[in-house]
Amino acid sequence: MHGSKRKGAAAFAVLTIASLAIVASAFARVDAAPTATASATAACENPSIGFMGPITGDAAFIGKEQLGFSKYAIRKLAGGKVKLIEGDTQLDPAQASTVGTKFHANTDILAVVGPAGSQEVLAVAPIFKKAQRLPFISGSATRTSLTNGSIPSFFRVVPNDSVQAPTTAKYIRQILKAKDVFIVDDQTAYSKPLANGVQSNLRAGGVKVTRNSVNQKVTDFSSLVSKISDDIDVVYLPWQIAANAQIFGQQMKEQGKKAVIFGSDGVDSGDFHIAGSYISAFAPDIRAIKGNAAFIRGYRAKFVSNFGPPMYVATQAAIAAINKACADGDATRAEVQKNLKATFIPKSILGGNFQFTTRGDVKGAKFYIFKLGAGGKKTLVG
Amino acid sequence: MSEVEGTPEGPKIGVDEWVERVEERTGLRTGWTAPIVALVEKIPPAGLLALAVGATALVPFLSSSDYVVRVAVNTVLFALLAVGLNVVVGWAGLLDLGFVAFYGFGAYLYSILSSDQFGVHWPTLLTIPVVVASSILLGLLLGLPSRRLLGDYLAIVTLFFAQIFVVLTTNADRITLPWNDGPTDITGGPNGITSIDPISIFGYDFGSTRSYLWLSLGVFTLVVVALQLVNHSRTGRAWRALREDPLAAEAMSMPVNRLKLLGFMFGAATAGLTGTIFAAVQLGVFPGNFEVPLLITIYAMVILGGAGSIPGVVIGAVLINVSLELLRDPAQARFLFYVTIGLGLLALLRPWQKLAAVAVGTIVFGFVAYQLAERLRPAWVSGSISGGRGSDLLDGWVIHPANSTHLGNAGFVLLIAAVIVISELRGVWRTVLLAPTLYLAAFVWENRLVAEPSVTRILLLGALLIVLMTWRPQGLLGTTRVEIV
Amino acid sequence: MDWNFFVQQLVNGVTLGSVYALIALGYTMVYGILKLLNFAHGEVYMMGAFAGYGILTAFGGALSLSINVVALIVLMLGAAMLGSGLLGVVIERFAYRPLRNAPRIAPLISALGVSFFLQSTALLLFGADFRSYETYEYIDLATGVHWGPLNISVVRIAVILTAVLLMVALMLLVNRTRLGKAMRATAFDREAAAMQGIDVDRVIVATFFIGSALAGAAGVMVGLVFYKVYHLMGFLAGLKGFTAAVVGGIGSIPGAMLGGLLIGLGEAFITGYVSSTFQDVFVFSILIALLLVRPSGLLGRADIQKV
Repeated sequence: MHGSKRKGAAAFAVLTIASLAIVASAFARVDAAPTATASATAACENPSIGFMGPITGDAAFIGKEQLGFSKYAIRKLAGGKVKLIEGDTQLDPAQASTVGTKFHANTDILAVVGPAGSQEVLAVAPIFKKAQRLPFISGSATRTSLTNGSIPSFFRVVPNDSVQAPTTAKYIRQILKAKDVFIVDDQTAYSKPLANGVQSNLRAGGVKVTRNSVNQKVTDFSSLVSKISDDIDVVYLPWQIAANAQIFGQQMKEQGKKAVIFGSDGVDSGDFHIAGSYISAFAPDIRAIKGNAAFIRGYRAKFVSNFGPPMYVATQAAIAAINKACADGDATRAEVQKNLKATFIPKSILGGNFQFTTRGDVKGAKFYIFKLGAGGKKTLVG
Repeated sequence: MSEVEGTPEGPKIGVDEWVERVEERTGLRTGWTAPIVALVEKIPPAGLLALAVGATALVPFLSSSDYVVRVAVNTVLFALLAVGLNVVVGWAGLLDLGFVAFYGFGAYLYSILSSDQFGVHWPTLLTIPVVVASSILLGLLLGLPSRRLLGDYLAIVTLFFAQIFVVLTTNADRITLPWNDGPTDITGGPNGITSIDPISIFGYDFGSTRSYLWLSLGVFTLVVVALQLVNHSRTGRAWRALREDPLAAEAMSMPVNRLKLLGFMFGAATAGLTGTIFAAVQLGVFPGNFEVPLLITIYAMVILGGAGSIPGVVIGAVLINVSLELLRDPAQARFLFYVTIGLGLLALLRPWQKLAAVAVGTIVFGFVAYQLAERLRPAWVSGSISGGRGSDLLDGWVIHPANSTHLGNAGFVLLIAAVIVISELRGVWRTVLLAPTLYLAAFVWENRLVAEPSVTRILLLGALLIVLMTWRPQGLLGTTRVEIV
Repeated sequence: MDWNFFVQQLVNGVTLGSVYALIALGYTMVYGILKLLNFAHGEVYMMGAFAGYGILTAFGGALSLSINVVALIVLMLGAAMLGSGLLGVVIERFAYRPLRNAPRIAPLISALGVSFFLQSTALLLFGADFRSYETYEYIDLATGVHWGPLNISVVRIAVILTAVLLMVALMLLVNRTRLGKAMRATAFDREAAAMQGIDVDRVIVATFFIGSALAGAAGVMVGLVFYKVYHLMGFLAGLKGFTAAVVGGIGSIPGAMLGGLLIGLGEAFITGYVSSTFQDVFVFSILIALLLVRPSGLLGRADIQKV
């Protein structure tokens, strides 16, 4: 009894002292990493791209896919020269802010791909704006106001809500001739502005709108589905989780609801395959684009959602910009940002040639509308 | 008679054995930790505080990296939250799961009063007292109905409160107010409130991370001193009585309800105050900042450090936040992983011959396994160990297949099974099986976990919590309380 | 609104509620015996759902099923209950037994550690994608009860019946068997039970096995009726189960069932008649009010405090 207690206390003391020693030595190692005050020419010795995304947590399905495609781009295009450093944000702006500081302080990092959510972009913007401004390219933040010029080093490879909302509303109103639309947002930073946009566009066009919202963590939508009355023609779901839209659709079938589902680009994924539904997407089906077959084979893993491929393009743009900046042996972040602005990717995997506008948006962004057939087969309808 | 007294283990006459051994049961003041603890105890609390605050204040001079300073700021904020929660949980003994809501409330109120959200820009010296006072009021409001509830019922009601807070902040972006046409945006919804004014005191604008570090350290000092005073006052003693035995406290005619409310209010005030600094440091507030995972983190800090002890919960905050940050980097995580395993073996394996046998056994096992794999299945050693310091050291020892995901997963499951089996075994088999298990751990780390640093980070945090809690159930600096049956 | 709408929401609520009730049972049984909140319970439920998914995949997946549907569901339930039960026993052995005499708050943190560990393990082994049971591919959801505009699919009926069956079996076990008697004795007073010659450790292991097995069954049932399975599904479900257990009066087995049903029904009717946006706000407010009226839960007995 006495001996074991002693042993425990001794072990505890060892542990405490050791952990303090580890903390001290590990921080010494953090400090050994190049910091913002080091000379800028060192950047090309070990040029890196920082990856920010929700690799764990509720939005891991987005982050893991984005990380997979970023790694794929590094493997395929960087030729071992440019490295990827990952930072997990869990879609929490506070974590994004800390990871952002970490990336900003590391002079090896010349550009960042990510973060995923608009709220995270807002959280890291003040950090990346500081001296030694760090360019960053999001693969999924769609809030319109992000590219109003207030965040000078921000780029995104997806079109913003000001493109998607009107295209969607116009299609619902003019082609589907809907009179009565049921909109459900999923209470995320992605979903709410989009739902608001479509709602105001539809109301302006004289369409009756019933607005609801439901937390995306919920597994059962049946009580919400029961609320869809027989007058409703279209149910608009601007959701992040396609699997949820699939549940919603199945529960509509189960309760004999006849309305048509219209999903946003978040729903554009193999997880959602209710025949007869419509979805909007910013790229003509990536899997159907000619010349993409080898690209998809090369990814080696199964990919379901369309959160990944834009991240490939973001990483592709970053690698190109860094390589160009490093051609003369040294590079600064400002140089990389200048090169990013001049990005030109011919025949990108998202279809067509890829360029940024002066504000960092996708040039010539367009939304496509697809109709889903049996087995989830997509047909371009608008 | 004298013989009996001479042996320390023997029974003593006229001494209550049980009382005599109280120090021993609390675990810290015996063995060779005793001199260290004694030394620490010699430093008065004020000195301890000065030492901790002074050392942290020097961080910006020791490191030029803004990231290190930011981690220091985060750590101080976590320490503040832990100290605040300690009042409610550690001193008053109330299981309050709504704590983060006060933190969020402080942050949101500060943001609303100092941003363009409503075009209101109050001076900080006015905002902070208003935020603290409102937090206290909110604490009172939550406390009033809850004071009848005991233990887990209190926990669930306060948890509802926290959930309601998140739902409201997420959805209060289109609220119809009777005096306003159209929907009003109060909280900015999931996109939160941004472009918040920096804290500004007597004309000095806080902007840089290091200035916020010193500000938060100043606040930390004030809060800790204030709480220490409360703790040694009548109220503090009454809280402890309440925590140990609510019924007895009531029987002694202590104002139990008022004490509970006071506990809530002190916790709420600390959390609200911390929230304002957090909002200013982040330059924005979002509903995602205040969800249950944060609550879990703070609770882990308090309980791991030792609920009831201020130095304890601060150490808990430092330990958890710093290790979470260090684990972000795969190279550092690897370093921590091997060093922790090594130290664990050092502490657990006695005598040293056994330790040496296991170490040599593991190394030999690795070389043999590698050679066998190379001869029999060359594909199993065709991959490469991903970079970082020390990786070339492991080459030729750890098997590393080219496509390691599936084998790594299998190894992981096997490793968990092996750890379960080993801990059930006793005697020589345990030692014998230790070597292959250690090798398996290295295999899993190098082939699977190193490729997923973000997942590994949470995995290791989980393992750390289990191991530390089973090791010291009362927390690192907590004292064992005797539960009276 | 009309009568059909009411009945439809009733069915929705009962389905959801019976799942919550099954999860709540595990919480309440463990609490009854150890006075311990097993916060890792949600993860046990998640692992059960994955075990069921594993069986589905082993038999060819939803699209090319090589086995009779009823046999499949029985196998799924069996595998999930066995797997989850064993997992519960292991958790008890490693995270709770060393803390049996520790302060009451300590096992809370080791439970959270187990939670993190299991979530990350699932993320590591199964990935972050949402998996789907795709029940609609092998069970025609149109079969079932049709009553005017009212539709109750056969899956829902099966899930509700299974839940009722499991609960009846549990009640019989607790009230009619020797093990049940030992469990009740241990819950009443652990030390006195030990003095009567009851092997308390065995009773605790059995309790963890049964409670976790019920969570595993709930995991499969959620997969069958709501399809989606992923690594963090246990968090919210665990929270709801915990809520149900507390509202019903923690420690009381009928209380957990009642609490689960009540929350399921509350969610359905609040969404149906009030607002889905603020669903949690309303449901939680009602529950807070309820707890203020009955501070020990609906069927909980007010603890007689010993001095």
